[in-house]
Amino acid sequence: MSLLGLESPDLIELLRLLDIEVLWHPSLSNGSPSEHQKLTERMLSGHQQLDILCIEGAIIRGPGGTGMYDTVRGKPKKDLVAALAKRARFVVAVGTCASFGGIGADGEVEATGTQYHKWDKGGFLGESFTTQGGLPVINLPGCPCHCDVVAGILTALISGYHVPLSQFNAPLEWYGMLVHQGCTRNEYHEYRVEEHDFGEVGCLFFHMGCHGPLAYGPCNKILWNQRSSKTRVGVPCFGCTRPDFPQSYPFYETQNIEGIPLQLPDGVDRAHYLAYKGMAAAAAPKRLRERKTKI
Amino acid sequence: MSEKIKMSVPLNRVEGDLEIRVEIDGGVVSDAWSSGTMFRGFENILVGRGPLDGLVITPRVCGICGTAHLTAAALALDMISGAKAPPGAVKVRNLTLMTETLQSDIRHGLLMFAADFANPAYKKCSLFREAVRRYEPFKGETVIEVIKETKKVIEIIAILGGQWPHSSYIVPGGITSMPSTGDLLQCRHFLRRYRSWYENQVLGCSLERWLEVKSRSDLDMWLGENDSHREGDLGFYIRFAREIGLDKIGKGHGNFISYGSLPLPEDTEICGPREGGCLVPAGFARGTEVTPFEQERVTEHVAHSWFEDYDGGKHPFEGETRPYASGQESKKYSWAKAPRYDGFPAETGPLAEMIIAEHPLFADLVGRDGPSVFARELARLVRPAQTIPAMEVWLSELAGVEHFYASPGIITDGHGFGLTQATRGALGHWVKIANGRIEHYQIITPTTWHASPRDSDEIRGPWEEALVGTTIKDLSDPVELGHVVRSFDACLVCTVHTIRGGRNLARYKL
Repeated sequence: MSLLGLESPDLIELLRLLDIEVLWHPSLSNGSPSEHQKLTERMLSGHQQLDILCIEGAIIRGPGGTGMYDTVRGKPKKDLVAALAKRARFVVAVGTCASFGGIGADGEVEATGTQYHKWDKGGFLGESFTTQGGLPVINLPGCPCHCDVVAGILTALISGYHVPLSQFNAPLEWYGMLVHQGCTRNEYHEYRVEEHDFGEVGCLFFHMGCHGPLAYGPCNKILWNQRSSKTRVGVPCFGCTRPDFPQSYPFYETQNIEGIPLQLPDGVDRAHYLAYKGMAAAAAPKRLRERKTKI
Repeated sequence: MSEKIKMSVPLNRVEGDLEIRVEIDGGVVSDAWSSGTMFRGFENILVGRGPLDGLVITPRVCGICGTAHLTAAALALDMISGAKAPPGAVKVRNLTLMTETLQSDIRHGLLMFAADFANPAYKKCSLFREAVRRYEPFKGETVIEVIKETKKVIEIIAILGGQWPHSSYIVPGGITSMPSTGDLLQCRHFLRRYRSWYENQVLGCSLERWLEVKSRSDLDMWLGENDSHREGDLGFYIRFAREIGLDKIGKGHGNFISYGSLPLPEDTEICGPREGGCLVPAGFARGTEVTPFEQERVTEHVAHSWFEDYDGGKHPFEGETRPYASGQESKKYSWAKAPRYDGFPAETGPLAEMIIAEHPLFADLVGRDGPSVFARELARLVRPAQTIPAMEVWLSELAGVEHFYASPGIITDGHGFGLTQATRGALGHWVKIANGRIEHYQIITPTTWHASPRDSDEIRGPWEEALVGTTIKDLSDPVELGHVVRSFDACLVCTVHTIRGGRNLARYKL
């Protein structure tokens, strides 16, 4: 549904401009079940070329590795995914569940990502898997993945652009920056003017569980629905692009030691950070302390 | 002698994983089984987590009704904590939920449902070429318009709630955002634009003219009144649906349920159709006889679901979700449980809302002929006409409001439920918190009501019942089954997509 929100080009223009033929989409295609079955068989036998396989949702292996918690025509869907992935020129895991296992990764459904299980390479298809096009599974984490990112990667693959990837096989173009970058609360973060409860004007990192400085993603650069983001309306970033999403500790609160978050902005040294934040809080201008500067 | 045939049909465009098994006797469906083919275990994942985590996890149950899950999760926490959201927050909550429904109704009606009108099964229909011109997937003229306009109106949710889908801006005691005057003006612009598009493209007339339609004879008169009414997507829908007989299939049990939705804050000029403080009233109806809704009467059965057995039905506060998977067809055949109200299966969604609100047009249609595919999809296509005027009022009432949150403090213990109407119908979260952790979480979604398998008394679920009696013209393309199931706006949440590059392919280099 995120993808229907594409703008400039919109979804229809994108498909036309790139000359993409959508073989099947579970929500938008209108082929009959028997046509769909024939299409699947033609792809599996190699009679129908499959250039890009987009996988949404985790690979469900439960119970006990059988995959019977998620079936198609009485058979585990995971087997169909494995067979199609071998045929596809590129495989793109769209969303955190397909990338890293996501919400069901620690649950009884035994979910895993297509080629990662949380922080570890491997997942469903295994560490050494590469597609016909010579690439690993390209991960587009996020819950949901931003539509511009999906459109961007499809365009890059079809146009033959080189796509540099992060250590989690996510394109650096969109996952090379923190959600924190571009947040309109940045000045409040800088001077450590904190929110302790919803609806205050301040930084959400210190008490409200914001993962903006801990999560890689373009939310505050390309924005959602052309205009906003969670942090801009006072919702902490939940780190939904991170391999451990959804974290094992409660949302909306920051784990901390004596008021300093347990997890500091990615790569920051603790001692330096303590000194810097102490000075920054002392230097906070009155307009921020009084929360007069709008967000 | 007719021959009985059994066939199994996986259905797409139902937002998820569904297989319908039908028994066909002489070309007519004589029995049906609805099977949800995926277990996701969301409820069990929530147990043991932080008290507010339902606000983050449950919207992710579904990419198309996240605001509704967020609403239900927050209402349950409001009840547990005794929080009372300020009137301004109630209006903003309502506006985002209404926006989600505004766009979803039209996307479903004109992208997902109407795509079947362009199915070759209808090539002999006099309106087929016109249907292809409008609804061919990814290409039809209406399809292009709907994609363009529905994503515009969703910007209202992004302005008020940060993003769509999957925001978590509703919290116990109110909302996290503080919409500014500029934000509200933008929302009014997007709503005005959508209204005008909906009037031109879908209704072919003003909202006011449409709202004068109060009976089947009014509907016929409206349709015959001018070309604009006939050529709008609503008029086209009515003509096409009648030509292919959608008014004669998909009857079902004729039981309707609504939990009620869109609470009216004390300072609004908007009035609901009945006392009870909601714009969309709660109720249960058998036929058009409406009775008050009492949540204690909701139970779930698992006799035919792949969960560990218990006797009869359990209220969601007592409900259990213990998967028992075999994957083999036997007595148990679905990952969906069987919700019942007072022991009855029930349909929910726009038609149920219209019946329970005693909307004269739909009371007349259903009173005469019972429910049908035609009436269900009609209710969906015209629901925006009911909600847009209230949205306009609430947006103007919000001018100058500064108070959107009243802190309930830390939530450690309690029981509560959050009941609302998602786009597809009745949605409920039943939650217990103990020692600052979630102890129990049970969700009944609208599609659980609809996709229900048989219950402990062997009574069919709503889809199963609605399918019985349907005539299938071509067994290799049973498009009629799709109409019946899709008329309930089925949503079981989706998984695998496959895309093929076109002529550019030869130039791939990496």
